[in-house]
Amino acid sequence: MGRRRRFTMDVKQNSTFALNIASMTDMFMLILVFLLQNFSTTTVEINPIDGMQLPVSNSYKNPVDVLQISISQDEIRVLDKVVARVQSRQIASADIDPQDSNFILPLFKELQERAKDPKAKKGDEQDNGQLLLQADQNLPYQTLRKVMYTASMAGFPHVKLITVVGN
Amino acid sequence: MKKVKINHNSEFEIDLASLLAVIMKLVPVLLLSSAFMQLMVIETDLPQVVTQAIEKQEKEKKKNVLVEVTPERKVVITIENDGARSSVTVEPEKGAIDLLKLQVAFREIKKQHPDVFKIDLSPAGDVAYSEVVKVMDEARRSRDFNIRFPIKDEKTGQDTTTDYMFPEIIFVNMMEG
Repeated sequence: MGRRRRFTMDVKQNSTFALNIASMTDMFMLILVFLLQNFSTTTVEINPIDGMQLPVSNSYKNPVDVLQISISQDEIRVLDKVVARVQSRQIASADIDPQDSNFILPLFKELQERAKDPKAKKGDEQDNGQLLLQADQNLPYQTLRKVMYTASMAGFPHVKLITVVGN
Repeated sequence: MKKVKINHNSEFEIDLASLLAVIMKLVPVLLLSSAFMQLMVIETDLPQVVTQAIEKQEKEKKKNVLVEVTPERKVVITIENDGARSSVTVEPEKGAIDLLKLQVAFREIKKQHPDVFKIDLSPAGDVAYSEVVKVMDEARRSRDFNIRFPIKDEKTGQDTTTDYMFPEIIFVNMMEG
């Protein structure tokens, strides 16, 4: 009895096949159009703090590249540096000047240093005392007012409020 | 003469590989530079004529519009015109600022005083920031783009219209204790 021949598939080693990429191209074209629509043309980098909810506005003015202050439910930051604390949506009493209940002393010192430091300056805008302010939408106006008051005292009277586009 | 035979039913394939290669390079670049959340600032982009009108109002300073937001979310708009005072009150709707009525009130004031572009805003301390922004939105421009207000171009002397109502907003109670 002879040995049975093992079954082998007849595969052509040199065969080529055409991959249909038309549907993949369609998909990429859609992604491309979507991304082009969302393409950011502004050079200003704004990084909202995690958990911060910015107010919605119908303003369509692009932000300018100036010093940024952010007020979250927990802290006040000048760029990335934490300068004061927020407790129960109010500025922590330890950071308030005992002589003036609207004056946030550590914020004033930080802003004054930034105003003096030529390295911290970002073009001519900062010379005009402009400031970008991003704040949580649930904060009361009196908390914001103290920050704006301190900023104007430190030489930044022109505050621009950062908002999210909406209606 | 021999006739050239054209097969109209013939199929051909376009080589999409190179196009795909270009798209594949563009997609990561655009992904990195895309802004998935559009952030803007509240500061009006004013046409030249409106800017001139604000400057004129600054010089004259005969009229003043004060908008107060009370802790009960009532909005009181006081108009001071050459010493004469009048006020409009927008009552709250279910404990919140009635934005529709506020918009109507701003429109009426603008119709009566088309030369006024600046308002003084004085919200109470406990009014939420989001509510302040909403009031500013209502004051800045008309929601109905068909409603336009007359304005005179100071340079050309021509009459034109704008949908801006009160684009310059100043927090007057910032210095208060």
